[in-house]
Amino acid sequence: MKTLADLLPGTLDLLVLKAASLGPLHGYGILLRIQQISRQMLQIEQGSLYPALYRLEHAGLITSEWGVSENNRRAKFYQLTRSGHTRLRKETEQWTLFSTAIGHALDARPEEV
Amino acid sequence: MPDRLKALARMLLRRSRLGSDMDDEMGFHIAEYRDDLIRSGVPQAEAARRARQEFGNIGRTKEDCREAGGFSMFDEFVRNVTYALRQLRRAPGFALSAILTLGLCIGANTAVFSVINATLLRPVPYPQPDRLVTIVREMRRGGDLVSTSGQDGYAWEALKDARSFQVAAIGGTSGVNLGIGNGALYVQQQRVSAGYFRVLGVPLARGREFDESEDRPGGPPAVILSYGLWQRVFHGDASIVGRTVLLRGAPFVVVGIADETFRPRGLVDLWTPLMPSTKGEGQGLNYDLIARLRSDTTWAQASAEAQTRGIAAFADRKIPSTISARMVLAPFDRDNRAALRNRLLLLSAAVVIVLLIGCVNIASLKLARGAARRREMGTRIALGGGTASLLRQLITESLVLGAAGGAVGLGLGYIAIDALQAVVVRYGIWQELRLDSHVLLATLFLSLLVSVLFGLAPAFQATGVDIRAALLEGGSLGVAGERSHWLRHTLVLAEVALSLVLLVGAGLLIRTLLYLQHRDPGFDGTNVVAASASLEDARYNESDSVNRLYRESLDAIRATPGVEAAAVGLHVPYQRWLNDGVRIAGNSSSPIEDYGTALNYVTPGYFEVLRIPVREGRVFDERDAANSVPVAVVSATFVNKYLKGRDPLTCALGSGPLTLQIVGVVGDLQQQPGLMRSGPIALEPAMYVPATQFSSAGFRMAHTWYSPSWVVRATGGRAQIARTIEKAIAAVDPQLPVATVHSMTDERDAALQSERINAWLLGILAALALSLALVGIYGIAANAVAERTREFGIRMALGSSTARLMWDAVAPGMLLSAAGVTIGGLLAAASVGVLKGLLYGVRPFDESTFLVMAGVLIGVSGIASLIAALGVARLAPANVLRQA
Repeated sequence: MKTLADLLPGTLDLLVLKAASLGPLHGYGILLRIQQISRQMLQIEQGSLYPALYRLEHAGLITSEWGVSENNRRAKFYQLTRSGHTRLRKETEQWTLFSTAIGHALDARPEEV
Repeated sequence: MPDRLKALARMLLRRSRLGSDMDDEMGFHIAEYRDDLIRSGVPQAEAARRARQEFGNIGRTKEDCREAGGFSMFDEFVRNVTYALRQLRRAPGFALSAILTLGLCIGANTAVFSVINATLLRPVPYPQPDRLVTIVREMRRGGDLVSTSGQDGYAWEALKDARSFQVAAIGGTSGVNLGIGNGALYVQQQRVSAGYFRVLGVPLARGREFDESEDRPGGPPAVILSYGLWQRVFHGDASIVGRTVLLRGAPFVVVGIADETFRPRGLVDLWTPLMPSTKGEGQGLNYDLIARLRSDTTWAQASAEAQTRGIAAFADRKIPSTISARMVLAPFDRDNRAALRNRLLLLSAAVVIVLLIGCVNIASLKLARGAARRREMGTRIALGGGTASLLRQLITESLVLGAAGGAVGLGLGYIAIDALQAVVVRYGIWQELRLDSHVLLATLFLSLLVSVLFGLAPAFQATGVDIRAALLEGGSLGVAGERSHWLRHTLVLAEVALSLVLLVGAGLLIRTLLYLQHRDPGFDGTNVVAASASLEDARYNESDSVNRLYRESLDAIRATPGVEAAAVGLHVPYQRWLNDGVRIAGNSSSPIEDYGTALNYVTPGYFEVLRIPVREGRVFDERDAANSVPVAVVSATFVNKYLKGRDPLTCALGSGPLTLQIVGVVGDLQQQPGLMRSGPIALEPAMYVPATQFSSAGFRMAHTWYSPSWVVRATGGRAQIARTIEKAIAAVDPQLPVATVHSMTDERDAALQSERINAWLLGILAALALSLALVGIYGIAANAVAERTREFGIRMALGSSTARLMWDAVAPGMLLSAAGVTIGGLLAAASVGVLKGLLYGVRPFDESTFLVMAGVLIGVSGIASLIAALGVARLAPANVLRQA
């Protein structure tokens, strides 16, 4: 199990965007959703999630709204804005490109050079 | 971007409950996690502990969130504002003087801008103002413009059926009597042709405007009431339309009520049909023609048609062949703007200079404080406060000052606008002065601008703080630091120079006013009161009835104890008189052109009341009756101009069908010139005729423009004399209200109103500039004393004389003001040209004004420096040395 601190910088934002893009979620839900969609491979330090949420909201990529959770508790729900969706698409493309490139690079064998 | 803005707006809204929101959100997180842990089999107490622990430090997380959410920048701003306010509270003297200075400067600019806004920027308040024009007559000799004027009846005849525009004519506005119950009310009447409201494009509130049948000589008398008069006098009674009112001594049918929002030029209570014709007033250039271009015509087409039709109009008139006359279309508010533009530009230049001086002053004050705060700045930088955050704080301080000054300025501007309203009404502006969004925006912009202006210098200085030096100097080891002074000295120099420019301008305008006020008036106005009444009245259509009124009322006045002399004249001195052309019998040099003269009809005794000196022959008396030989009295200037080298008493003048024998020559009177533009008051050729010999037609025409005045010399003061006149007139005619009561000084002030306003406005601004400059000079000297206390103390202890030390303290300020005066003198010399049209009796480059103002400036800056230097005399060397 990896904590996010070991991942590349900026990855947390991307993961939050992805998680929130799948429907409105509260902070705890986003945390669980990230664990779920990363097939439990990524563990996020709980306290670091919230600054990321505030940063993304300040950048206008997500919005928040107070609502009621499945357990009938008052909770704040986040969801992507239009520019959030755009950003997610772009970042995803870049990430895919990047990971493919790195993958190719690391797969390289001596005879291919 | 919009998402970002929305996020920002939400952030500001949410900021206040941010803390509790974050608690709620994180509390929820921990609670959910705890429940999940319990569900997975962890004991309750253990679950709660783990949930909290794994979340990490809540306080730090909240702090991180604050920063990540952009709340921290706003927090810093709030902190800076709070800090700035605390700084101001700590230096109340500085805060008060800075805010007042700013308030005065911004207030002056707000007021002047509101006038510019109302007169030059806002269009006239009628629909499609760009399609509205006035049609003026241009006379040229060769290529030179001789005159631009209104029109006569022939021009009206020629233009009224134009195809490319609808045209309407406007006569003058004059006071008339409106019968109310047993008495009468003096109201302002404007005479307009049919189609006036249609051309302006404003509908009436009720009824209709004049039709063609009413707007021709002999047509049925009709009147349109202003909304204000309708409310005031008729209490908004709608049934008044169609009924008759007693106006000008005769019944008039009310045909309409003007709209509440309609703003004519100047004050108008009611309108009557102009009845334009080529007879009477239509023979002179007494009509203003306004027109609205039809929607399918261009300006060029309309202009061409006006010119073509003009040729027919000019053919009917005897225009000398050397003069070429032309009909010209001009923008509707041409006169109005031209009259105000130069004056306003001058005024705005003056207020901008004052504002600059104000900014310079505050900047210099802040520099002085900056020096005092060097230690604070040094400490903050040493503790790790970045230059950027320091700058942000300094700018915030300036903005807070600017905002406070702007608020005070807005308040002062509001008061000033009220005062200016009364002044500008005289120029017949259409728009009310008010603090509208334009003015508010301008004030806001100005406040921001000045904040930046005066904030720049200290910020500039602060970023260059040498930490070590600042910390050391701030202690007791410092000696005078010369390095930072050049900036402050330059600012004060600029202040002095700009003040001198305003002082010279104000000096020239004040001298103009004094010159005009002290010109020999040509009469003695002490204990004289003039009361006017409108005789544009059906009961006074005949010479007999007018003269009976004069005779009977004057008899009653003369019978009152304390009255020394009384008479009636169409005009009194300092007014603008009726113009007339006369022929001079036996003068063959120029048989066609009339000689222009100011004309006044008077009753016997007029010259005695005003003590106008009789130079030759006699003035009028009871011999000059309606049926006796027609006579005239002329002024000295008339003789000098038109009767050079002849014995005036042998000359006769041709006026209309009459030949008048000159029986006397009297001294000149100051009056507002109607013939030539020669300043606000001048000595004009003047001719007097006896009221008894004035024709009925002459009375009718003169009284449509002017209200005659009863002039009375008596003891007992103005109010008592006024009562005497009112009682005497009311005894003869209870329906004839006295319209105005003026002393001769009032008349003079009215004639010189523009000059007085110029002198006062610029004088006030110059005084403001001077006092601001003085504060600057005082600051320099006081600062020099404060900084060199140690040095002075040591020198004093070593035996230096107090005078010598004081001189050292005064010298920098004096040197600065001397240099400032030199530069200011050059600036003033370069810019006084703009005053050219406003000066009388003094040249723009009047050495004495320049010298006196330079002397005043140097003198008072000397005094200011000296006051600051007195601190030196109070120094006790022993104390100073001990403190070191």
